[in-house]
Amino acid sequence: MVQIVISSAGAEGLAEWVLMELQGEIEARYSTGLAGNLLGDLHYTTEGIPVLIVGHHILYGKIIHLEKPFAVLVKHTPEEQDCDELGHETGTTRYLVTALIKDKILFKTRPKPIITNVPKKV
Amino acid sequence: MSRTRAEVDATLQAAKLRASELLPTALSLRFGPGAQCCLLELEPALCRSLEAGHSLVIRGEKDEQAVLCSGDKTYELKVADTSNLLLCVPGCKTPEQLAREAEPPDLIHAEIFGFANNYWELRRCRPKLQKLRRLLMKNTYEGPDSPKEMDSNRTTYTTEDLLDVIQASKEEIMSHLQILNACEIGGYWRVLEFDYEMKLLNHVTQLVDSESWSFSKVPLSVCLQELGPLEPEEMIEHCLKCYGRKYVDEGEVYFELSADKICRATAQMLLQNAVKFNLAEFQAVWQQSVPEGMVTSLDQLKRPLWREADHRCLTHEILTVLRAKWCEGVQLPKTPVLEQQSAWGRGFAFLFPAPEGLFSSAHWYCAKKDRIKCFLLSDVRAAVSRNSFCI
Repeated sequence: MVQIVISSAGAEGLAEWVLMELQGEIEARYSTGLAGNLLGDLHYTTEGIPVLIVGHHILYGKIIHLEKPFAVLVKHTPEEQDCDELGHETGTTRYLVTALIKDKILFKTRPKPIITNVPKKV
Repeated sequence: MSRTRAEVDATLQAAKLRASELLPTALSLRFGPGAQCCLLELEPALCRSLEAGHSLVIRGEKDEQAVLCSGDKTYELKVADTSNLLLCVPGCKTPEQLAREAEPPDLIHAEIFGFANNYWELRRCRPKLQKLRRLLMKNTYEGPDSPKEMDSNRTTYTTEDLLDVIQASKEEIMSHLQILNACEIGGYWRVLEFDYEMKLLNHVTQLVDSESWSFSKVPLSVCLQELGPLEPEEMIEHCLKCYGRKYVDEGEVYFELSADKICRATAQMLLQNAVKFNLAEFQAVWQQSVPEGMVTSLDQLKRPLWREADHRCLTHEILTVLRAKWCEGVQLPKTPVLEQQSAWGRGFAFLFPAPEGLFSSAHWYCAKKDRIKCFLLSDVRAAVSRNSFCI
């Protein structure tokens, strides 16, 4: 039988992250992929409503405190060097709990387009 | 290059948002290098367990539904798809968190760690413990001198071995081992062969009788001293633990023996070899067979006795014997409830109350096709409907 351990570093080692839930997909404008690129700016109104500006869109969302928090698991697969003299893999697949998520920001309203001002003719 | 507050403000202006309506802190979100991450949905107790540093284990054979086990609970693990995009953002603060800061910055740079389209969902489930009983019954313990013990081909299991093959948490496994009266012998978990267990019990009850002890004050040291020459000391102590409660009085270890457990075991022993008994006869013989001072009662048979070499629930045997003649020919309403696969082949369990005078509370009948084979007492029915016992 397979036994896969999910280990936790305990409260000291567990950060608290936030989950952002968006409808649809995000595509990179250029073919270089998403990594390193800006997504957008996140603001909160004085009443605590999250506002996300992505490209030419504004999205209004709400903050939800999760009844069932999430654990963010990162997989560790055995590396090539985790072999003993006979070449058997000594490492097994494990998951590490990297963070806990207790709040999420949900954006489910239709994004509003930002219409930039047409520059005035001088 | 990181965004500056000035750039953020310019975007705000273009979006026609008024800074006065917003909190002073803005967050600039950027995609990180990207990482494969999984989201596991937790119930609050599991969350607290992880925060305390405990681990979880996923267990299952390749062809089995995977389960996730904490130290003491088992959950079914399923992947739930979502049409939404879930982004994990470290360093992202909620307004509540910002409010708690003495001097919140005007711009926070947050990097998205990874994203997912699904998450792992957990549903609390019954631990898969029937396999535990099955595995241990393949090699029951009959005493140290049994030729079985010389046979190295027989499979034995340590606690670690059991964790490797049973889809359950460690605490659930340990708890079940206790229910099975299993004993750790030489580091391996063994279930005692019934006759051997009865032999040990008889040694103990006969000693109690010959020494004129009270059943509630059986001294461990004297038992070991007197019975040591007959059986291994660990087995005598194991028997006392299974059939009694350990306590210490003035530095001495004693056991308070359970009349209920001993009477049940005696009933099991009588019925194992019985061909036919009628109720009154059985009750008479049963009372005569238990140690003097103990009182038998049909209530003691309510919990199913379920250790039998051919996997039948012993309750069937007890209850077949208790088949009262006045039940035959009685028209009772039948409601088929479950179909059971048992050593007797496919049968239907019909549930209906017992006629007046037979038992004091409602009981259930288990019928093989149309013939009333035996009774299932109410507690057994509850157990069957919880699906935790095999019949």
